[in-house]
Amino acid sequence: MSPAIETLELTRRYGRRLAVDALSMTVPQNAVYGFLGRNGAGKTTTLKMLLGLIRPSSGAARVCGVDVARDRLDAARRVGALLEAHGFYGNLSGRENLDLTRRLLELPDREIGRVLEVVEMADHAGRRVSDYSLGMRQRLGLARAMLGAPPVLILDEPTNGLDPDGIADMRRFLGELPARTGATVLLSSHLLGEIEQTATHVGIVHEGRLVLEGELARLKAGMAPEIAVETDDPARAAALAASRGFSVAEAPGRIIAALTPGDDARMASAALNRALVEADIAVFSIGPKARTLEGIYRQVSTPPVVQPLMQPELV
Amino acid sequence: MFAVLSVEARKLNRSLASVLAIAAPSLIALFVFFNMLRGKAAAPWEMWMGSASAIWAFFMLPMSVTALTALVAHMEHGPKSWDHLRALPLPRWKLYAAKAICVVAVVAGMSLMVLAMVWGAVAAAAAIKPELTPTGPFELATYARTMGMMFLAALLLIAIQLWTALRFASFVPGLVLGIGGTFFAVVATSAKQGVFLPWQMPINMLASEAWRVNTALGLGGGLGLVALILMTVHLSRREVL
Repeated sequence: MSPAIETLELTRRYGRRLAVDALSMTVPQNAVYGFLGRNGAGKTTTLKMLLGLIRPSSGAARVCGVDVARDRLDAARRVGALLEAHGFYGNLSGRENLDLTRRLLELPDREIGRVLEVVEMADHAGRRVSDYSLGMRQRLGLARAMLGAPPVLILDEPTNGLDPDGIADMRRFLGELPARTGATVLLSSHLLGEIEQTATHVGIVHEGRLVLEGELARLKAGMAPEIAVETDDPARAAALAASRGFSVAEAPGRIIAALTPGDDARMASAALNRALVEADIAVFSIGPKARTLEGIYRQVSTPPVVQPLMQPELV
Repeated sequence: MFAVLSVEARKLNRSLASVLAIAAPSLIALFVFFNMLRGKAAAPWEMWMGSASAIWAFFMLPMSVTALTALVAHMEHGPKSWDHLRALPLPRWKLYAAKAICVVAVVAGMSLMVLAMVWGAVAAAAAIKPELTPTGPFELATYARTMGMMFLAALLLIAIQLWTALRFASFVPGLVLGIGGTFFAVVATSAKQGVFLPWQMPINMLASEAWRVNTALGLGGGLGLVALILMTVHLSRREVL
């Protein structure tokens, strides 16, 4: 089974600036793939190359096995897209906007009703788009992307500009999307929390390069576990932890002791706790830190900084 | 192609294009109506229809094309819908060709409306003041032929204005070009070189010298068609960043 989306050494240069640098990504079928990166990292440029809107300087992009540069039309038939600029005609109603695209795609009338039902917008379809909230426009954009039931949906920052309720709404909706439509979803965002709660797979792009990719659960499982300790004497606690083989970093009011991948964080916490108490250091709290996407993101996208590692103290 | 054309027509239909398409010929008809009522003696049909055609070709046609092309292009530039349209599984040239066809069709419709509305205005004025009833025959075929030639000669200016309007997201370059072109067409009417100015080609259909008519018609129509094709090819191939 070929991947839903695949890029091979995809590169795009604007003059001297390298916007996307030999990016090779694989989006498995039926995945919700979170494409993460800060603003300007190259996400939108990559998506535009996948949609055939701009040409790669080198490399290739494939959608359902179809090379976008060689056969844009065939590739485009397999993709629905929600772009940052929605491109709706404000003087027309939501239904009329969908109808224009439906006609261009030469789809039957009933498609409009179907996609409006999926995004729960049927009741508002008769209103002019200029009267829509941003959240409603995003939903209408999703509905338009789903016209013709393409097997791949590319959504560029679908939660951008939404209020907290809108974000929660969109998050729920995106989570249900593969089940409702059977489509593979490529979702770009710079919001880690959004991706963490909706994506099954992630790809992290940093300065145009894909620095990490994989199934989110596996990536989290592969992270070195960490123990967070709050004590009355962080300096001594850090020295003690370091003497026991932990890599220790100081955070405000606490220390973070990093384990090696595969270590049992609970057993290590108990052992460290015992050692701290025996050394007469008061422990306010101790426990494994939750493995988060943010942790993964920081590891791969932050330039390495020298952590204030504590040296073991001779006791 | 029919689907793309029908979508373009629907968008135009719901825009202010129809207001523009009606307003420009109406203004000419209104002017002819009041101008005729000022008269004391009847004048021939040829004079009223000829002067209306001249006003159209001289000023109102280039200005209407400037406004219409800006409007048509801004329908997509305004809501930034190019990315959506260009990502759809249809050949991009069809998007631009449909716009060109619609603009050309609207200008053709406006040309016909000029004839119809001016006829109506003259008839209305004659009904109010029967002594001003135009003399001589109403030679529709002749007027329509002249108007048709003006339309063909305007193809180059339509192509240039539409190309500029679609190429630049801001409507300013198109407006500057259209206002500038019309300005020079007006101030340099009698210049021999004016026949090579796209904005002056339609009015040259009323020139008494045959070479002027033929040159303006050949360049305006022929080059206009080529320019429309080049525009379609260029815009569909260029990247919209």
